[in-house]
Amino acid sequence: MAVDMTTAPATEVGPPAEPPPPLHVQRWEPDSRGWMARWGVMAGLLGLVLLLATIVPDVYTNLVAKAAVFGIIALSMNVLIGYAGQVSLGHAAFVGAGAFAAGYTLTELDLPWMAGLVVAAASGALAAVLLGAVALRVKGMYLAVVTIAYGLFAQEVVFNISSLTGGGAGQTAPRPSLFDTDLKYAYLCIGMLGLFLAFDMLFAGSKAGRAVRALRDDERVAASWGINVTGYKLLAFVLSGVIAAFAGGLFASIEQVVAPADFQFTLSLTFLLMTVVGGVGNRWGVVQGGILFAILPQVLEALHEVHIGDLQPFGWISITLEPVISAVLLILTLTLYPGGIAQQQHHLHGWLSGRRFKDHAADPLTHPPAVYREGDEPPPLSAAHAGGAAAGAPGESSEAATEAGGTS
Amino acid sequence: MGVVLDTLVIGLQTGAIYSLIALGLALVYKATKVLNFAHGEVGTSSAWVAFAVMGWVQGLGIGDPDRLTGLHLLIAVIPAMAAGALLSVGVKLVIDRLKEATDVIVLVATIGLGVLMTAVQLNIYGATGEPFPRFLDGNAFTLPGANVPVSKHTLIILLVLGVAAGLLALYFKTPHGVALLATSQDPFAAELQGVNVGAMTASAWGVAGALAAAAGLLGAGIFNLLSPGLLLSTFLIPAFTGAILGGITSMVGAVVGGLLLGLIVATANQVNTSFSLGLPGPPQVAVLLSLLLVLLLRPRGLLGTEA
Repeated sequence: MAVDMTTAPATEVGPPAEPPPPLHVQRWEPDSRGWMARWGVMAGLLGLVLLLATIVPDVYTNLVAKAAVFGIIALSMNVLIGYAGQVSLGHAAFVGAGAFAAGYTLTELDLPWMAGLVVAAASGALAAVLLGAVALRVKGMYLAVVTIAYGLFAQEVVFNISSLTGGGAGQTAPRPSLFDTDLKYAYLCIGMLGLFLAFDMLFAGSKAGRAVRALRDDERVAASWGINVTGYKLLAFVLSGVIAAFAGGLFASIEQVVAPADFQFTLSLTFLLMTVVGGVGNRWGVVQGGILFAILPQVLEALHEVHIGDLQPFGWISITLEPVISAVLLILTLTLYPGGIAQQQHHLHGWLSGRRFKDHAADPLTHPPAVYREGDEPPPLSAAHAGGAAAGAPGESSEAATEAGGTS
Repeated sequence: MGVVLDTLVIGLQTGAIYSLIALGLALVYKATKVLNFAHGEVGTSSAWVAFAVMGWVQGLGIGDPDRLTGLHLLIAVIPAMAAGALLSVGVKLVIDRLKEATDVIVLVATIGLGVLMTAVQLNIYGATGEPFPRFLDGNAFTLPGANVPVSKHTLIILLVLGVAAGLLALYFKTPHGVALLATSQDPFAAELQGVNVGAMTASAWGVAGALAAAAGLLGAGIFNLLSPGLLLSTFLIPAFTGAILGGITSMVGAVVGGLLLGLIVATANQVNTSFSLGLPGPPQVAVLLSLLLVLLLRPRGLLGTEA
């Protein structure tokens, strides 16, 4: 029986009230000079990265490409460790799968270069789905053991199928005709790194990214919010596997040949170490960690070769010191700076994103910032939030911080 | 029949080393709920200590001056096990200092320490490795019907494993052992009962380190070669799998699981050769499959008490 609305006692409901203007949290903003300094430093850093491949001597051009690829691999590790809270000690399996898939597609099937990367990504997705399915059942440190066994399995079994990987001599993986020189290829890798950084930013802010991070903190709570734990965990694995395999495909074409010996178990450990040292969960940090670990062996070798007259001041340094340095960096990171490189650069990150260089005042518990409606005049900054005289540090000190952060 | 017995002999030899390592892993896990990836390298480092001691003893004019023998090794046992215990306690001290001690972070830290120890060995002794003696060379006997003889080394490994497992089993009956069990269940409550928690856990790590040293000496003897990262690359992952297979909370389980995994790996190798399947890396396949099966079907392991 329908209710006759016309005869119902009319409680006068007016048109819905305009929603109140949104609230804003009062924030310190740099003035125009401050913004100019920030944009200047950012442009300088970007220019440095873009010019790097050209500046370095020719022998190191491939190293720049390798560093960019390691940056992408670090982003892939970050999706898994930083966002999803799962650990992978067999990431060399994904990278290797991508590299050999790309090499096989390019050499044996003679397909165009982009097809090689697509096949690489698909193989990474497949490898990651298999591992992810296990991760749905097996948690925490047991999963870590499984990933190690998985990595060893890939290294000893899959990468030794010589029809796929070319055996000990390796699989050739030619470069695309557009990017055939070392320099052009290095720029391609840098461009890809930029692309994946942008993708990472989009992903972290998206619904899926928030869901993945929610299930990192607590799977049950996430499930109670209606987050599909199974699906998003698998998504994180697949995404990580695809990015790693893509990076593997790029890696294959750097030296234009990949051999099973390139993907030892220790490489998986390097990937883990560079992610932790870079700063788990921070995309800029992990990329720097990746770059640092990519160039470390060559840096040591170059130091070894330094001659001052007849003297060889760093002759005692050798390439075998690399694992010592990386392991010590890891232990120091875990015991002193769990946030890694990112934590050490945190003032710089804050400054670049439009805050003060050192934001001492901002303890939101003791000095809650003022809140105002849009359209209203923001209230004047309180003394605590106006900060010290050192607010908005000049460019020179932040440049110094870049160097300090980048080399430590 | 002969093939089965051969597989048994080979499987027991590697399985006993797995068990010896798994025993230390299970002890540490029981005491502190840490999966210690540095365990293998504690053992290898101790073996290198033994190698240095043996060189020194040889320099004193004791024993055969041309090659290292079981006599040298016998003298080096005590220093090696002491070094293992010290290194293991050192690992624990580092872990205690971690800022965020989640399971996975602790695991990553032990991996880092393992890498560090391997790297230090590599820098001191180079990558190729050095010849390493056994306590007793030669073969003891051949099982009737088998082709592969049982070497004296295998018997010694089994003997050491038996003694270690027996001592540990007895230890858990003593007041100290009970205190350790209490510590592992609830450190805070144990402390309230007057248990010195730090000393208890440190002693567990120390004993585990000594066990790792024994495994290092015996494991290097199997190949007559000691190379950097030997235990990490050859024995650690199968030993982990063995420990999980038997139930990582159980000492008996560690021994059983290690031996069982040794047999599984030997069987996989044997099947691969007998039927000439030509599969690459049968041990890795066997280890991964065993690990997956046990984690998916019975996560607490064969003899473990909880998941």
